[in-house]
Amino acid sequence: MTTQTISHDTAKRKTVDARGAYCPGPLMELIAAIKLVDIGDEIEVLSSDKGSANDIPEWVAKVKHELVGVEELGDHWSIVVRKMK
Amino acid sequence: MSGMPLFIVLCSGEHEKIQMAGMIASVAAVSDRPVQVFVSMNAIFAFRRDSKGDYRGGEFSKLLLEKKAPDAVELFQQGKMLGDLKVYPCSMAMDITGWAEKELVDDLFDPPAGLTKFLSDAEGGQLVMI
Repeated sequence: MTTQTISHDTAKRKTVDARGAYCPGPLMELIAAIKLVDIGDEIEVLSSDKGSANDIPEWVAKVKHELVGVEELGDHWSIVVRKMK
Repeated sequence: MSGMPLFIVLCSGEHEKIQMAGMIASVAAVSDRPVQVFVSMNAIFAFRRDSKGDYRGGEFSKLLLEKKAPDAVELFQQGKMLGDLKVYPCSMAMDITGWAEKELVDDLFDPPAGLTKFLSDAEGGQLVMI
């Protein structure tokens, strides 16, 4: 078994603005973005779609990335995900 | 680890059902499930290059278009790009319409397949009819 050390000091965060997109648009935008960043980096998804705010954490758990946080910011949500693999 | 393979037979030409099939296929494919879709009957018309975006549907179809929900065909294309998704035009549907593969939308279809092959593959997973 190999282990991978993730340094949060060098991790970067990219924001994906998916406000206005309906399910599963925000999830798809997250996945497209997560493929392009390094392990340990974070993606923040901004979504005005409540379903996606609930569903993205489910996807993150299913495929074993890490949910950093979900925050409601007035008319939209911020969902931060750390790429783990 | 991959989940149980999912097989979708898409034969409805209704926008709402094609949208739902696109949502299921794309989300499953990006959630570590291999997905195969078999497109036949009235559903094939939505995937013709010349009629892309021209859907036939009911009340919810109007809402999907008005609210600019993700396009149904593009959902399949995203699932193909980001996950393990194969989409086969039914060889019978291609024969009946007389269409060549180049008449279908780009960046989506695998070569036409017969029902026998699809059903044989589907023995190893879960089959959904839409």
